[in-house]
Amino acid sequence: MKNNIKKNKLPIIIFLILGIVPFFLDSYYLNNISYFMCWSFISLGLAVIWGMGGVLSFGQTAFFGLAGYSFSVISINFLGVAGVGIWSPILALIVTGFFGLIVGYFLFYGGIYDVFIGIVTLAITLVFETFMQQTAGPEYAIGPARLNGFNGMQGMPTLGFQDLKFGLIEGVTQYYFILFLAAIILLGLYKFKNSKIGLIFLATKEDRDRVASLGHNVQRIQLIAFVIASMLAGISGILYTNWGGYITPSSMGLVSAALPVVWVAASGKKDFLSVFVGSIFLVWLSQTLAINGAQFAIITMGLILVVTTRFFPDGIILMFKNKLIEKIKWLQS
Amino acid sequence: MIMLFNIVYQFGDALSFLLLSAIGLAVIFGMMKIINLAHGEFITVGAYGTVVSGKVLHLPLPIAMAFGVLVTIIFGLILEKLIIRHLYGRPLDSVVATWGISLIVSQSFLVIFGPSYEGLQTPMGNFKLGDYSYSEYRVFLIFFSLSLLALLYILFMKTSFGTLARATIEKPEIASSMGVNVNNIYSITFAIGAGLAGVTGALYAPTMTIVPSIGQAFIVSAFITVVSAGASPFIGLVPAAAFLSTVQTSVTFFYKATIGIIALLFSVIIIIRFLPKGFSGLISKQK
Repeated sequence: MKNNIKKNKLPIIIFLILGIVPFFLDSYYLNNISYFMCWSFISLGLAVIWGMGGVLSFGQTAFFGLAGYSFSVISINFLGVAGVGIWSPILALIVTGFFGLIVGYFLFYGGIYDVFIGIVTLAITLVFETFMQQTAGPEYAIGPARLNGFNGMQGMPTLGFQDLKFGLIEGVTQYYFILFLAAIILLGLYKFKNSKIGLIFLATKEDRDRVASLGHNVQRIQLIAFVIASMLAGISGILYTNWGGYITPSSMGLVSAALPVVWVAASGKKDFLSVFVGSIFLVWLSQTLAINGAQFAIITMGLILVVTTRFFPDGIILMFKNKLIEKIKWLQS
Repeated sequence: MIMLFNIVYQFGDALSFLLLSAIGLAVIFGMMKIINLAHGEFITVGAYGTVVSGKVLHLPLPIAMAFGVLVTIIFGLILEKLIIRHLYGRPLDSVVATWGISLIVSQSFLVIFGPSYEGLQTPMGNFKLGDYSYSEYRVFLIFFSLSLLALLYILFMKTSFGTLARATIEKPEIASSMGVNVNNIYSITFAIGAGLAGVTGALYAPTMTIVPSIGQAFIVSAFITVVSAGASPFIGLVPAAAFLSTVQTSVTFFYKATIGIIALLFSVIIIIRFLPKGFSGLISKQK
């Protein structure tokens, strides 16, 4: 019981620290942290599908891109219409979730398992990238929204209420909006993990056939988790598009697809809080390293991935977290 | 007649590309059940080994190619000893670790050799048929890939090493208790797979622009072909590659190259859905 209370304090402390950060940092660093936090949702989605269910999907990046592109297409088409910054991201998220539903249905009800899911989802991601790369011509346009091939899309409106003073999601508002969203989603994911469906989903990782023989609809539960994961990736995609004001096909390439896997594996795929903190840290790390050339950042990410899977299969951040909790316990006793 | 030959040539070119890109992976994935996402980088190592030794040491092309293959085998053996060996029986972890390796290798090549490297000349000449001119080397590649596959089939299905390898992969504990050195068999099988990837890199090195991401051109086709080939890759590889290259050549013929690649990716999704055991499953079912 006591142990439980201590465990629950950690996320509160982390969010309190993140909550007071804007009072000490100028807007440049604040925007950077917003950017790091943008990426945590795609990682959390991967933690759901891979960490809980043992289904390694490379499709997260496709959903990321799909959400970014659909947000851009929808919002550019309805530029100036009232509340476009509110309902266009929601609509984009629904599109993403629907696509996740179709892909997931195909995967799980089609009897594709284990490593084959990885290969099929990787193929889907690459189809998306390849398709988007060749959309440079004027014939690839949805209404006034040109898809623009390699260069990607620009000129979408900012998220939020256009008419209110602090209604636009940018700067400090963006920071708090993402932080708030992260808190809500983490809370929701903890609830999901401890819910009946979540527990059954956890069990499918160990033994799919036994769960099925106990009378649970394994396919449906895996599908639900897959859709949740795809929508979380979609949230990242929309926030990323909003943060930078653009979305490009390279955000769906082979390297981009590898990055969430690195973050989640290195952080500890079984623990949502570790994944959240770890993603922020690792995106910061790759951005810092990329100052000397992007290739060094990618080499480091590759090294981290190899070293964690070889020596720390449970993840480095999770290991630190457990050590920290042990230390606190030891201090209190 | 010339039109027909043209189509056959295009088809054969696509076929040998798929076969050669898949052949090393077929051994590592098909035999050892390891998803080697660093397969493309093995090909990169083979290609660079060939081109660099050809340019710097001025070796004649066949010797440079042999050198490239040798480098890849050594590279594969080191990786197997350091990392892969510890991940047997953890398929998802091996996917992740080999992806890490792939990132490290391709980006290191970028750092060391720069964004592109001066290539070698395509060996052999051209021959003319009507208005078109064809590369003899490409025709050679078609026959070479098919004979390499036949050789592999004999190695894994007809020799005593092949029997030991298949036994080890099927039931490692029992093979070990029968006195088979399981670790050695794994190492050798992995080295063969790596070496074959090196062969692919060496063979295509004189035909392509040498860039650090050269392996990415192969990795997707490799996985598509091996997955479509199914459980026993040596039987399924040729029909799978034949089917896929038919799809690719015909779609590319009517539309354009990128659409051809998209069609390829779609067909693998459909093949996994309706033929979960791939083409080799289809063949053994009919027998």
